[in-house]
Amino acid sequence: MHGAMGGGSAAARLGTAARRARADPRRRSTSAWLDRQFARLAVLPTTVLMLLVFGVPLLFSLYLSFEGWSPEQSLFSGRFVGTDNYQDLLSDHAFLGSVAITFGYTAITVASELLVGLGLALLLDIDLPWISLFRTVLILPMMITPVVAAFCWKLLLDPDHGIVNYLIGSNVIWLGRPDTALLSVAVVNLWQNAPYVAILLLAGLRSLPSEPIEAAAIDGASRLQMFWHITLPLLRPYIVVALLLRTIFEFRAFDNIYVMTNGGPANSTMVLSMFTYLTSFVDFDLSMGAAASWAMLLMSMALCGLFIAVIRRREPL
Amino acid sequence: MSAPSRVGSRRSRLVFAGGVYLALIALTVVFLFPLVWIVGLSLKTRLQIFTMPPLLVWRPTLENYAGVVHSADFVQAFTNSLLVSSGAVLLSMIVGVPAAYAIARFPFRGRSLLFFGLLAMRMLPAIAVLVPMYVLFSKIGLTTTRLSVILAYTTFSLPLVVWIMRGFFEDLPRELEESAWVDGASRYAAFVRVVLPLIRPGLVAACILCLQLAWNDFLFAAVLTNNATRTLPVLMAAFSSGDTGVEWGGMTASGVLVILPVIIFSFAAQRHLVAGLSSGAVKG
Repeated sequence: MHGAMGGGSAAARLGTAARRARADPRRRSTSAWLDRQFARLAVLPTTVLMLLVFGVPLLFSLYLSFEGWSPEQSLFSGRFVGTDNYQDLLSDHAFLGSVAITFGYTAITVASELLVGLGLALLLDIDLPWISLFRTVLILPMMITPVVAAFCWKLLLDPDHGIVNYLIGSNVIWLGRPDTALLSVAVVNLWQNAPYVAILLLAGLRSLPSEPIEAAAIDGASRLQMFWHITLPLLRPYIVVALLLRTIFEFRAFDNIYVMTNGGPANSTMVLSMFTYLTSFVDFDLSMGAAASWAMLLMSMALCGLFIAVIRRREPL
Repeated sequence: MSAPSRVGSRRSRLVFAGGVYLALIALTVVFLFPLVWIVGLSLKTRLQIFTMPPLLVWRPTLENYAGVVHSADFVQAFTNSLLVSSGAVLLSMIVGVPAAYAIARFPFRGRSLLFFGLLAMRMLPAIAVLVPMYVLFSKIGLTTTRLSVILAYTTFSLPLVVWIMRGFFEDLPRELEESAWVDGASRYAAFVRVVLPLIRPGLVAACILCLQLAWNDFLFAAVLTNNATRTLPVLMAAFSSGDTGVEWGGMTASGVLVILPVIIFSFAAQRHLVAGLSSGAVKG
């Protein structure tokens, strides 16, 4: 509690400062006005920074998405093209394919992360000696820089020298075939992010009331019954949060795919972030990139809307 | 959930515990094997790396690490990573902590709008912000500078700081600052001299979680840097583009050196990990 004592002496120092301030009436009225503005001034820098790095760019990309613009031109000298960029997107098979792949990839990875994460959380919640060691070790993958994780897996999955092919005695070119590339990327992602879900759900499990489970145990319920009828319903709010957070993050998946497949082979791992990246920074078609960005934004706003609605409805979450 | 240990006889409890350990050990092997294997590769010579069947026992060599540490590219990227990560953390903390305090303590007009904006900033896809940001930054000559990366990183580190710190401020009893106000201290003085010292553990946690996110970022740095200002993840991605070649020793050693600091940060902030992950959705 020496933190509180430190606060006490600080308060004493404040007292002298305040007495000095009170002595001068002119200074007092200005500082009283400033004091009333405290909250507004405290959030001002955040508001400005937010507008600068988030608000203005998004508005500008909305503008850009209705223009024909190339990087040599000055900012506002593009040609207004109406909804041409969006129409081009909607008739582009690579884009439509990437929408389908993004939703498919998100669904597969989120579902598997939740299942494995829940399993992990349930195991790690059991009070046994050494369990905290497992808790520490099993969350390691989620801490690793995603690019490095993906890069390591690229070596593990190497067709000729990788340990995976050696262990299962095959020579599959995991990341070079359209039918295995997306699955491989998803498995690597599962490896890295199931621990994330596990940590969230473990925090949930730890905060559940113990009385219902103890009562059920006295009534002779089996473990499976207790899990299904008591733990799972109580854990539901946490599962919902994990589900929505993972959905939002997988929807914008990029790092692992960039490193492992770069969207290929044959566009089989071309998720929306990858498509937008290649359009904007490889083809340098930035107005098309802006249109793709806004298409993505609208889709994730729908997801965020869902997220916020759920959070608002369940305040104590 | 300590209740299950009361279920059943002693024998069945032992069987249960045995099963749990077995499952945990199996999972640990599955989850840790890739990491252990990569660390192993980084300690082998080039000849040993490509030996088939793989060598399981060998005399570890540090030559790959020596090579990496002496590589100008790696040292430069490491310095850049350090500079932009700490710059982003510093900027987000200075800007975000007062805002978090105001949001936690004072009702003001636009509070929920600000809150909503921060949530959107954290949740919306980074690439969608990056496309226009790149255009705007390149027109004012900011691209390829470290400052551009720092500014870009605030799109995720600022919301994170506000979220984490808001939780800490809300948990702090009001009496201490209120008594300072009664003593005649201004809101500013009370915030700086009474509240901030009490909230130090929260500040540390927020710093570490932000540092981790910034250190791990790839997308922003990939677009906004050049060969002189690139960060470690960008360098790592450059290794792996196309064919991975034969320099596995150097690449794995670099990878290990990149993730080592984050792992250390994370363990330092393990208690606060949940708060950071859920960005305030679950009160950690």
